[in-house]
Amino acid sequence: MRPTAVILSLASDYGCQVQISNFPEILEMLSTFDLGYWQFVSSGDMPDAYEVALIEGAVTTDEHVELLEKVRATASCVIALGACAATGGIPGLAIAGPVRGQLKEVYGSGEKKVGAGARKPAPISDYITVDFTIPGCPIDPAELSRVLQRAIRALVDTPQRQSMCGECKIAENMCFWLAGTPCLGMIARSGCNATCVSRGRPCTACRGIAQDANIESAYAFAAQNKCDADQFESLIKIYNAANEQATQKAVTSKKTAQEVVS
Amino acid sequence: MTKLNIHHIARIEGHGNVAIDVKDNEVKDIFMEIIEPTRVFEAMMRGRRFDEVSHISSRICGICSPNHFVTNLIAVEDALGIKVSERTKKLRQLLVHGSYLQNHASALYIFAAPDFVGLPSFVPLAESAPEIVRRALRLKKLGNDLCTLIGGRPVHPITPTVGGFTDDVSAEALRHLSEQLFEAVADAAATVELFGEIVPQHFDTQGELVALHEIDLYATVSGQITALDAGWSKPVSEYPNIIKEKVVEHSNSKHSFIDGKTFMTGPLARVNVSWDQLLPSARVVASKIGLRPVNRNIFSAHACRAIELVDAAERCATLADELSLESGSVAPKPFKVKAGTGYGASEAPRGTLYHSVTIDSDGMVTAADVVTPTAQNLANLALDLQRFSPTVVEKGEDEFKKSVEMLVRCYDPCMSCAVH
Repeated sequence: MRPTAVILSLASDYGCQVQISNFPEILEMLSTFDLGYWQFVSSGDMPDAYEVALIEGAVTTDEHVELLEKVRATASCVIALGACAATGGIPGLAIAGPVRGQLKEVYGSGEKKVGAGARKPAPISDYITVDFTIPGCPIDPAELSRVLQRAIRALVDTPQRQSMCGECKIAENMCFWLAGTPCLGMIARSGCNATCVSRGRPCTACRGIAQDANIESAYAFAAQNKCDADQFESLIKIYNAANEQATQKAVTSKKTAQEVVS
Repeated sequence: MTKLNIHHIARIEGHGNVAIDVKDNEVKDIFMEIIEPTRVFEAMMRGRRFDEVSHISSRICGICSPNHFVTNLIAVEDALGIKVSERTKKLRQLLVHGSYLQNHASALYIFAAPDFVGLPSFVPLAESAPEIVRRALRLKKLGNDLCTLIGGRPVHPITPTVGGFTDDVSAEALRHLSEQLFEAVADAAATVELFGEIVPQHFDTQGELVALHEIDLYATVSGQITALDAGWSKPVSEYPNIIKEKVVEHSNSKHSFIDGKTFMTGPLARVNVSWDQLLPSARVVASKIGLRPVNRNIFSAHACRAIELVDAAERCATLADELSLESGSVAPKPFKVKAGTGYGASEAPRGTLYHSVTIDSDGMVTAADVVTPTAQNLANLALDLQRFSPTVVEKGEDEFKKSVEMLVRCYDPCMSCAVH
């Protein structure tokens, strides 16, 4: 019997689900599963039982937390799909401001109704145990395929620990820092084959912060290259504001960097 | 009183419910709940630098990300007084107009088609109508290939930047793309035939039809805001004065009004407003299925999407060919950061998309505004639902719900855009 899989979304732009639907080879890989629920492409209700849950999006409401708890109690394998689910992603940027104040800015006096049950944006791992994480904005379909193959064999996740810089060197890209442009490749989690830098855009660490990254040293390097601690931290926050570990590290490393510079 | 709620309408982008109260076969109340969580994009963009907000606003929507990216860039460049090269303009037009292929093919084949054959999803069609599925996937793939070639990947382009692109496309790749686009015109025309045949009902929407319009081009990344019935055309910078947004009950998306009335944007509005600017080949296939302006039948919206596929494929083929023969640079020219407010608009697949940004003298964004097609359409959709539902209420619960969902899908709503 094929295992049942469901695809759900919290606060997101559906870009990762669009990525899935864009690649026939991924759809074929998904046919290994009985796709019990995929609201994006099919009518029908969530099944009561399923083995694998792919979850896109960041947690931003009480309802999301309830849903996550239900999913975790049901599924034997939970996969965080994309930057929003993995690190809080772009929705996580809102963590910088007060939830109420931001809602008021956008909705005016209608803020109360829209804001019912609103929470600070967070990655799903803040609330439940996640078995696999597929980072990136958007996800790399090949990585999803690899993870699904591991999931179906009940293997464990083996996240890339290194930073993106190495892949960028292999791609023989010119380093942005040489031209004085800040780039987060040295602390970003690898696995994207330097897609953005190869097309001329500096890395924004959409895949999260690499486990092996030396953040303190990165701050010092940035400072030596005319990118002060505030600017470097601001860059990190685009995709990693909700990632407490990274921002806490950022706070301490900022101090260290300032000491190094002074 | 019976409550016939449609929870999480499937085959649309995002989360929306329809709540319906029926008594003695009469619709007492019907409204759409937009439960998509808000991500407060306008608040998040404030405080970011001018060259970061377009990348961020691309994440409003995974399905029309090139549109958000380019529209926001136009607004930023307007604020800073940056003029871009002709090649940049053309390449952006190709990226935005080319995104119709992927978007319209998805809306038609993956979201709408299952309704017409009584299936829950597109997947079983692979066995019953393999040729149709292959055609759908070819169109989608070509749209994605186009976006990947110009933007770097199908979702969330990499290369667009303030003042131009970070990377250009080779003449050879553009020629190859042009050939593929010319070949796709046949698939697009077959799509018009298919969706021309299956206009299931006739129901005229009453709202004003609004789209960007240009005299000598089917407007996508340029033009003036134009209202068909009222007959006015106004510059894009006027949009905050024209379109008034209101926070409403049941919805995390605001509703939009022009002069206090609902209006419609999107393929049906565009084909009506810019009929004279459609390529002759697109008008020919339209006349073959008997579609001509003024057509207000909301169920013709799918046929209009298909007609736009023909126009987009042929126009983009010509554009790609032109670009392959021309030289020119897409690299941003040096510019000075200054304070100002800028406006941008484009025709996204679902309708007119507006962005505005205010930038201070340090280059930091102090205010941002985004008005998406679905946010503009929701009030009109709500009105359509109120008028349409009594005409189908006697069909029995299942058929009634199905008809209501079909009407919703004619708008191809995108809730993540609507709420953002």
